[in-house]
Amino acid sequence: MKISYNWLRELVGVDWPVDELAERLTLCGTACEEIESMAGHLDKVVVGRVVKLSPVTGADKIQLATVEVGTERMDLICGAPNVAEGQTVAVALIGAKLAGGMEIRKVKIRGVISCGMICSERELGLSDDHSGIMVLETEARPGTPLATALDLEDYRLTFELTPNRPDSMCAIGIARDIAALANTAVRYPQTALREVTARASDEVSVAIEDPDACPRYAARVIRGVMGGQSPWWMQRRLIISGIRPISSIVDITNYVMLETGHPLHAFDLERFGSREVVVRRARPGETFTTLDEKEHELTPDVLLITNGKAGVAAGGVMGGLNSEVSGSTTDILLEAAYFNPSVIRKSKRHLGLATESSSRFERGADPNGGLERAIDRAAALMAELCSGQVLQGVVDCYPKKIMPVTIPLRPERCNRILGTKISDERMQQILTGLEFTVSNGRGPLQVTVPTFRPDIEREIDLIEEVVRIEGFAAVPDAVYNLGPLYTPRHPSDLFQQEVRQVLIGAGFDEILTHGLADIRDALVFYPDQTPVRLANYSSGDLNIMRTSLLPTTAGVVAHNVAHRNLDLCLFELGNVYYPVDHEDDPTGGQRLRLALVVTGQSEHTWRDRPRPLDFYDISGALEHVCERLRLGRLSFVDSPREFFQPEVSFEIRAGGDPIGVTGQLSDKVLRHFGIKQPVYAAELDADKVMSLRRPLAEYSPLPVYPSAPRDLAIVVDAGIRAGDLIEAIKLAAGDLAEHVEVFDLYTGEQIKQGCKSIAVSIRYRSPERSLASGEVDERQAHVVTMLKQKFNAEIRDK
Amino acid sequence: MSIIDDVVRVRDEAVERISKADSLDSLQELRVRYLGRKGEITGFLKGLKELTNDERKQVGAVANRARSEIESLLQQIQEKLSASKQASVFDPTLPGSRSRLGVAHITNQALQEICDIFYGMGFETAYGPDIETDYYNFEALNFPPDHPARDMQDTLFVEGGRLLRTHTTPVQARELEKRRPPFKIITPGKVFRNEAISARAHVAFHQVDGFAVDEHATLADLKGVLVAFCRAYFGPEVKLKFRPSFFPFTEPSAEVDVSCFLCGGSGCQLCKYAGWLEILGCGMIDPNVLAKAGFDTERYTGYAFGLGVERIALMKHRIDDIRLFYNNDIRFLRQFG
Repeated sequence: MKISYNWLRELVGVDWPVDELAERLTLCGTACEEIESMAGHLDKVVVGRVVKLSPVTGADKIQLATVEVGTERMDLICGAPNVAEGQTVAVALIGAKLAGGMEIRKVKIRGVISCGMICSERELGLSDDHSGIMVLETEARPGTPLATALDLEDYRLTFELTPNRPDSMCAIGIARDIAALANTAVRYPQTALREVTARASDEVSVAIEDPDACPRYAARVIRGVMGGQSPWWMQRRLIISGIRPISSIVDITNYVMLETGHPLHAFDLERFGSREVVVRRARPGETFTTLDEKEHELTPDVLLITNGKAGVAAGGVMGGLNSEVSGSTTDILLEAAYFNPSVIRKSKRHLGLATESSSRFERGADPNGGLERAIDRAAALMAELCSGQVLQGVVDCYPKKIMPVTIPLRPERCNRILGTKISDERMQQILTGLEFTVSNGRGPLQVTVPTFRPDIEREIDLIEEVVRIEGFAAVPDAVYNLGPLYTPRHPSDLFQQEVRQVLIGAGFDEILTHGLADIRDALVFYPDQTPVRLANYSSGDLNIMRTSLLPTTAGVVAHNVAHRNLDLCLFELGNVYYPVDHEDDPTGGQRLRLALVVTGQSEHTWRDRPRPLDFYDISGALEHVCERLRLGRLSFVDSPREFFQPEVSFEIRAGGDPIGVTGQLSDKVLRHFGIKQPVYAAELDADKVMSLRRPLAEYSPLPVYPSAPRDLAIVVDAGIRAGDLIEAIKLAAGDLAEHVEVFDLYTGEQIKQGCKSIAVSIRYRSPERSLASGEVDERQAHVVTMLKQKFNAEIRDK
Repeated sequence: MSIIDDVVRVRDEAVERISKADSLDSLQELRVRYLGRKGEITGFLKGLKELTNDERKQVGAVANRARSEIESLLQQIQEKLSASKQASVFDPTLPGSRSRLGVAHITNQALQEICDIFYGMGFETAYGPDIETDYYNFEALNFPPDHPARDMQDTLFVEGGRLLRTHTTPVQARELEKRRPPFKIITPGKVFRNEAISARAHVAFHQVDGFAVDEHATLADLKGVLVAFCRAYFGPEVKLKFRPSFFPFTEPSAEVDVSCFLCGGSGCQLCKYAGWLEILGCGMIDPNVLAKAGFDTERYTGYAFGLGVERIALMKHRIDDIRLFYNNDIRFLRQFG
C-alpha cells in the first residue's frame, strides 16, 4: 500500500523526517519498504501554457509548441495526441532529469530546435499513464516550479503489510501506530455533516438474507450531486497511492477508503432499478456483469447485492455495470457494509477478481466505528465537493452485532514471555495509545480491543502489541535459559558427512538435485513403476517425485556433457519417494539414496596419461565407502537390468546384503539423454548402508612371527573371474593364508589366445609360530592342485 | 633355515626397491642401505664368522649371490637413470603428484556451516518427510483453513492429497508431539514451492528451522541465540535488527536483518544501499501450536526461527541466478572447492 507522507503527518502531529518515520514504523511491524520523493523528478520542471501549435514540415505525428514559461516563451516539439492550445502543462526544461532516467537536452528534430518537453504523468513519476501529456488544473502562473504548483513536496511511502493487520491498510491505521510510538493521538478528520430534512429511510430500504455473510449493511442517500473532477488535493493523494482519479464521486469513495480503510460503494440511484437493497447469496447459474464489463456466471459462493430482483454489485468485491455512477449521475446510494472475510475470499476466488475492496474485506474491516466514520466522511465530502444534499439518517441494517472483546493481560506473564521488565504503567500506556481501552483494578489489566483490530484475540496477541510498540530492541539478547547443553548428533548426519568426505577425497564432486522429475526420464529407467505424481505443477516438465536418483543424475551428466564438461566423477545423496497406503506411514514414503556416476577420462598430468574412466572407477569408490563405513565385503553379482548394458549390470552386496545396483548405462538411456560417451553409474540404498555400518574393531595383537609370501601367476580362461579365484584360493590355503590379493593382470603374446594371466600374492602367517618353508610349500601345492582341477589353470614360472 | 630366509627376504626387498628407484640420489641411498659398510647384506656377510662351518657355507653362498645380484642390478639401473638424467632434472615447480579432490555442493557446505554453529549451542537435528500432510504443514502450525499459503498457487500437491512441504516447520509440529521439554532442535531440509523456475525463484530450496521449548524460554533467549548465530556466521561485528512481522505459527513474530556483511552497513549493491540484509524469520511459538501438540501453554513456552540456505549462499557468494544451484554444472560447483 502506498500513502502520502504529508497526509500521515497531518493525521498525527509529529515532525519526524521521512526516513525516521519510515524506520520507526518498520520497527513496529508496519514495514515501509520504499520512500519515493514526489518532487524527485521535478527539478527544472515548471508550469507552462501552450500558446501556439504549428505543424512541422515532413512530420505529421509531431507539432511545434510555443510555450509560455514565466516571462519567456520557448519552442519545443510535442508528439502527444492530446496537446492543445491554451492548456496548462508541465514543461521540463533543459537539464531536467525525468522519471525513467530521461535527461532533457537541446535537440534538433526535423530541422527544428526543441528546448524542452511537455511531460506525461509517467515522465513526472506520478503514475504509469503515458497515453498523453498531463493537463494541469492549476491557477499557478507559468514558470512556477511544478512541485510548488502541485503541492508535490511530498513522499510516497510504500508499505508491505502483513495479512493479519487489515487495520493498517489506510492512512488512519498507520497514523495510529505513529501516534502510539509518539505517545500522542490521531487527529481524526471532520465527519460532521449537515443533513436535509428528507429521510433516507423514506427513500430506500435494506434487507439482509444471510446475516452471517453480511452482518451489517448501512446506506445513505445523497441527492443532487454535481459531477466533475475532484479537487487536486484529493487527486494528488490518490495519485500518490497509485489510484487513478476518475470523477469526484468515485474519487471520494476511494479517498475515504484510503483514509479510513473501509471500502465504500456508490450506486447511481436512478439506475439502481428499485428502492430496496437486498443482500443475498447468488443463485446457481445466475449471471452478473461487473463494472469492468465482464460477465460472470455465479454460484452461492458469491454474495450479491441486489435491487430485490437482479444483482447490482458483487458484495465487497466489485460493483455492477448496470448501476455504475457516471458523469450524469445526480442521486447516489452510498453503501458501507461489513462482510465476513471468508465469504469475500471465496467470492473473490470465484470471480477471479482481486480489488482494493476485496483485499480489505477479506482481511477484516471494522464493522463499527470504521464503517460509521467512512459513510459519514464520504457523505460530508459529497456535500462539500459535489454540492450534494445528504438525506437524513443512515439506513442501517445490523442484524449480527459484532462487539469488542475484553482480554485480560497479566503484566508478569508478558515480561516472562518477553524476558523484559516493562512496567504495568508502560504496558497500559502502549495499549491505550493504540486506542485499546484498559481498566486496571486488582489482578490482570482488562483490555477491551476495538473492532478494527480483529487480529487481537488472546493475551499473547496483546503481548505482541506491547513488544511491537516498545520495540524488539528493548528486549535483551541474553540467553537466560540454556536448555540442553549437549545433544547427540543425528546418526544420519554423521553417516552422510562421512560418505561425503570419502567420496570428495576420492575425487567425486557432489551434486544436488531437487527431487522433482519428468516421468519420461524416469520411465527410461523403470518402465513399470508407479511414482508419486504431482497434482498441480504447471510451469514445466516436472510431474513426478523421483523414484530413483539415476534419471536426475543422468540429466546432470547430460547438462555437463552438453557444456563440454566431458570428464565427470559425481555423486549425490538424496531422497527418493514412493506412494504410501496411509498418510501416517512412518517412513513418510521416502528413502535416502546414494548415486555415483563416472564418465569421460581420468586426469591428465605430467606423470599420468589420461585413460577412460570405467566400471573400476565406480567400484573403487564403492570400496572406499565400504572400507570407511566398515561394511562387510563388497561384491558384485550379475543382475541384468534394462537401463544397464547386459554384460555390465550388477547388484552390489556388502557382506552378502544387497545394497544397490551398478553398471554401464545402456545405449537406450544414453540416447534418451543425448549422451554420446560411456557412463558408469551406481545407486545405493543409503538407509540400508547406514544400517549395515559396523563400529570400530577391537584391537588384535600385532604379529610376532614372520610371514611367508608366495606369488602365483595363474593362466586361466579369460572368462574366469578373479573374485572366484581368490575365494577358492582362500578356501584351499586355509587359515594360515592371512592375505590374498591380485597384483597383476596380463594378456598378450606370451599367453595363449582366450586366456589371461592373473598374478596373485598369498601371505602365509601363523599367530603362534614361525612357519617352516616346507609347511608353506605344502599349502601352496594344495592351492596349485586345486587351481588346476577346478579352473583348469596353468601356473606360469616366475 | 631362518637366516637364509632373512637373506632372501632382504634381497627380494632390495630388488624391488632398486627396480623402482626413480633418481640417482635414491639409488645411492639404496646402495648404502644394502651394500654399504653398515648395509643389510654386508651385515649378513660380517655375521658369517659367528656361524658353524656348515651354516657359514650355506648362508655365505646365498648372501654372496645376493650381493652380486644387487650389485649388478644397481649398475643396470644407474645406467638407465644416468641416460635419462638430462630429461628428469629435479624441478620443484612442477605440480605435485596427487589426484583431484572433489567438491561438496555449495548448498550443503552452507547448510553444514549453519548447522555446525547450532550444534555448538546444543541443538540437535530432526528430520521429517518431504511429502507432508496438510495437517503438519498447515493445520498443526495454526494456519487458518483459507490462508492464502494453502492455495494451489503456492503449494505443490501430489495426487492423493499430500503436499510437498513449503517449509521445514512441519518437523517442529511432529517433534513437539514426541518430545518432553527441555529441547532445542534444528530441522534442516528441502522445501518446495509452486513457482516457475527463473533466476530469482525455484521449485525447491533448503531451509534450516530451529525451535526450543522449556519452562522459561523467552524472547530474550531467542534473541540471544540468534545474535550468537549471526556473530558466528557473519562475524563478531555484525548488527541485528528485529522487525515485528507475522507468521501463523509464532506470536510475537519478527523478521531479522543483519548489517550487510559486504559493506558493513554503509550501503552497497548487495544490500541495495539499505545497509541491511533480511535473513531470518523468528518468534515465540504460538500457544495454539503448543496446545495442539498437547503442551500446557501456561507452563511451557518456546521460540522458533528459520532461514533460507540458498538465500544466504546467494548473498555470501554474490551468486546472481538461483538456477545455478540445481544445474550442477561442474564449472560452478568447483568454484567452491
